[in-house]
Amino acid sequence: MFENLFSDYSLTVGMLDSIRVTLIMSFFSTLISSVLGVFLAIMLEKHDFKGKKLIVRINRTLMGAPPVVIGLLTYMLLRKKGPFGDLRLVFTIKGMIIAQTLIITPIICGMVYSYLVRTAPKIRAFAITMGADKWQTNMLILQEIKNEIYFSIVSGYGRSISEVGAVMLVGGNIKNRTRTMTTAISTLKSAGEFEEGIVLGIILMIMAFIVQSVADWLRKEAVEDENY
Amino acid sequence: MKITNLKKQQGSFLLNVADATFEQGKIHGIIGSNGSGKTTLSKIIMGTLPYDSGTIDYEGLTPRDITMTGQRPYLMHTSVYNNLVYPLKVRKQPVDEKLVHYWLEKAGLEDKKKQYALSLSSGEQQKLSFIRALIFKPKLVIVDETLSNLDPDSADLFERLILEQQQNNPITWITISHQLVHIKKICDMVHFMDKGNIISSDTPHNMLMQPTHPTIIKYLSNTEVSFKG
Repeated sequence: MFENLFSDYSLTVGMLDSIRVTLIMSFFSTLISSVLGVFLAIMLEKHDFKGKKLIVRINRTLMGAPPVVIGLLTYMLLRKKGPFGDLRLVFTIKGMIIAQTLIITPIICGMVYSYLVRTAPKIRAFAITMGADKWQTNMLILQEIKNEIYFSIVSGYGRSISEVGAVMLVGGNIKNRTRTMTTAISTLKSAGEFEEGIVLGIILMIMAFIVQSVADWLRKEAVEDENY
Repeated sequence: MKITNLKKQQGSFLLNVADATFEQGKIHGIIGSNGSGKTTLSKIIMGTLPYDSGTIDYEGLTPRDITMTGQRPYLMHTSVYNNLVYPLKVRKQPVDEKLVHYWLEKAGLEDKKKQYALSLSSGEQQKLSFIRALIFKPKLVIVDETLSNLDPDSADLFERLILEQQQNNPITWITISHQLVHIKKICDMVHFMDKGNIISSDTPHNMLMQPTHPTIIKYLSNTEVSFKG
């Protein structure tokens, strides 16, 4: 019975491909956003310059920006007649990753920056008393806020897999190519196929749970390693 | 270490130390009312706070020779052991387990070395911070109000550790404290700060038992009436 169900859904919305696209898109967009977001947060906290407050405010605005607006902007940049049209990224997974990266990076950057503003000056002063050089100080800061970085990344990942508007605009929701699980659910809802939508939703939740469990396990290992 | 015309403006407060000398290998105490600039001066000496003008002649000491421990020390989010060996790792020195054991035992933390450092009591955290400051054999240790929050036994332990250190391998200490009994007992020199300046430097006996400066007389009469006994 399940085999039949599975094949029916697979045929209707391209379920397996939507899972594949979701995994690829969320993994790479979270990875790129994590590197960019943490790096930008460190730079922003460390350096004082004219216009810094404005940048922080813009970043905070972007943290709550409607994804569909970011999706529209990305689409306009990537479409054939847009400035990056030659790259042919619109309606591709790469294009969707770019849109998602633009959505998630401000979230990770903003969260890590808030943690850094509160803790980095204390850690830096402590590092001086311990005789740490600049590199050791930066490593210590990262080590000391690693749990906060972890939460920021998980939040970014959560946003990535749950997002519909931007990936729909940039990816085009093309079956077996750019359809994600969320856009597939949206398509199923439009077709009145609620049961199938719920099945995909449950799979999406299970995926999020597995990722969360793996991250928790890795974190637990890291904490245990610290005690020798 | 010699300080000349050191200035630091912080809001409406001006630190302005015209001239001060901290002889190497001695225990120096800094006393004075709250807000007189003791902690600001110690942070500047440590290098965690930049100053506006003036000079500090460290007489050959490098930043890695100096350390500081405070009333609310920063402990890393890891075990007691990892906190203790951190300054050794920073200096890429091999961890001598006998030395680690020696210091943990001195501080009464031997059975807690695997414990998460932030789960220690505040007194234990200060002890850990104190032995962490000593484990890498620094040449100048700044102790900012560390003794204020300790029970009498722990305060005695700190005094013993400082005096033992001075007998075996004398280093320079700058200890900031309102505990005049402690200052009188262990310090070779006392420096009195008032309104951002060191207004008097003398032996503990002269400064605390035979004060002549009116500000110091007023401070002593207000601060602690029982230490003379």
